[in-house]
Amino acid sequence: MSANEPMHISEAELRGMTADLDAMHHDLALPALHDSLAEWAADIHQRSTGDQAEETAAQALFGRRRFLTRAGVVAGGAAGAAMLAACSSSSSSSSSSAAASASASGGTATAAAAMGGEGQSLSGDLRVVGMAASLENSGVATYQAGIAAATAGKLGTVPPAVVNFAETAMAQHEDHQKAWNAVLTSAGKKPVTAVDPVIQPTITTAFTKVTNVTGLAKLALMVENIAGETYQNGLSVITSPAGIKTAASIQPVEFQHAAILYFILGQYPVPSAFTAVTNARSATDYQT
Amino acid sequence: MDFDETALGGLIEESKDTHADALRGAKAPLQDMVELGREARAGRGVDADESRAFASENRRRLLSTAKRAGGLLGVTGVIAAIAEFIGSPAFAASATDVQVLQTASSIEVLAVSTYKTALGLPYIGGSSANPVIKTFATTTMQQHTDHLAAFQAATTSLGGTKQTKPDPAFVPVVDKAVASITKASPSSGALLVVGLALELENIAAETYVNNMSLLSNANAKKVTASIMGVEAQHVAVLNAVQALLKAGAAADITLPPPAAKLPAAAGSVGFPNAFYPTSQAAPATQGAMS
Repeated sequence: MSANEPMHISEAELRGMTADLDAMHHDLALPALHDSLAEWAADIHQRSTGDQAEETAAQALFGRRRFLTRAGVVAGGAAGAAMLAACSSSSSSSSSSAAASASASGGTATAAAAMGGEGQSLSGDLRVVGMAASLENSGVATYQAGIAAATAGKLGTVPPAVVNFAETAMAQHEDHQKAWNAVLTSAGKKPVTAVDPVIQPTITTAFTKVTNVTGLAKLALMVENIAGETYQNGLSVITSPAGIKTAASIQPVEFQHAAILYFILGQYPVPSAFTAVTNARSATDYQT
Repeated sequence: MDFDETALGGLIEESKDTHADALRGAKAPLQDMVELGREARAGRGVDADESRAFASENRRRLLSTAKRAGGLLGVTGVIAAIAEFIGSPAFAASATDVQVLQTASSIEVLAVSTYKTALGLPYIGGSSANPVIKTFATTTMQQHTDHLAAFQAATTSLGGTKQTKPDPAFVPVVDKAVASITKASPSSGALLVVGLALELENIAAETYVNNMSLLSNANAKKVTASIMGVEAQHVAVLNAVQALLKAGAAADITLPPPAAKLPAAAGSVGFPNAFYPTSQAAPATQGAMS
């Protein structure tokens, strides 16, 4: 077969292979993760009972800010794209960019989403969890914005495999976000639905310059590497064994996303023998 | 010097009683230690929390025994020394971390030798090989060599002996697979090589993911965390390559890939799990040295 001949694989065959792997994931990986999350939540709850009074005061202080933040943030659907677009519209007037084109659907409150976290006081492992949830929100928002731009024809021709990559990676980031927020809610905290306040401005600025698949892949690669490195760094910070299990189960997946993105960009997919933490977000970056 | 033999006999008897008490006190934790060792050798691994709890509980028990014995006899000194040792951070690290790191080394040894064998095949490392597959096999073998060196260094830094032999549980499996590969045609052989590599990479990644919650030493954690994502990346690439080979599309294994030609599902075949599983993880002490 030459490189120009059509592939002998059918969509159905590939989907069948993917379905088999997906079934394994649901039969084996997810139940194990649920056990870890429940164990971690119980551990955190046990440790944090002494901090309740302080927490209540902090929640009252930041209540208004949380309302403003949550009002314009990801509630599912296309809100992430709108959020990213709205943020971008405030930093760039480029009408040719995908972000600017999508900004019409963005709400004014979305700017608040990029300003900070949820306003609740988090400490210890929960601070890592809060920061991780906000980072995942930024990941979801990035892919949502990219898919919206592609659908609107703003990125030129987008191969179906690239669309499928973006949709699957976004769904996995949503799963990660839900996992982190499940820990928060199990510990009696509010879920973090805001985007990452520190990295979001960088993403927003970069997205204004995205005009094609290559640009979007480069941006997504940056987000994936930051996420992977952040969880890798978190593994040295998190104290609960169940929490370590959770972070350890997510870190490799972010780096797998990165490997496929390198491939899409024509770069070697496993560029280093060791993943670094130089771009990792610190848990202390989480803004209360 | 005059001896009161009766008094001396009494003292000796008393010392024997004390010695017996001391040994009785030591018996339970030592049995527990033996049991931990048996569990490790049976391949069930060592739970880090259980190890730490064991150290904490028995350190108190042993020191109490030594105190009751008055510290007069050598055996109580020995017990106190054992108690201090198992209660120390070095025990927590050495009892589990060294074994975990040795197991990781044994997996890396096997991975390096497997890729080396594969590169000896003309359709993997020779002139007829797909350039992307050849580069991947060559680079991945080097990365596993680097991983091996890192795990061995982490082992010796904890006072352990570096593992240089392959994981004994997987060697027969790999040998059997290699025997099949050498008899296969290039097209089916390539698929078998990728399947074997995928199996090993998944075992490595899942083992390291699983090991993260067992390790106590900060350096051991950092080393393992910096490697497991790389193994997962190898898995992602191999998943994609395997799908293309199974589809008879070896020519489409290029860098960059012919994205426009690929079906949609090819975009996600590399990373099927939102959370990395551990069902194939090797027992943490499977490759540990006795």
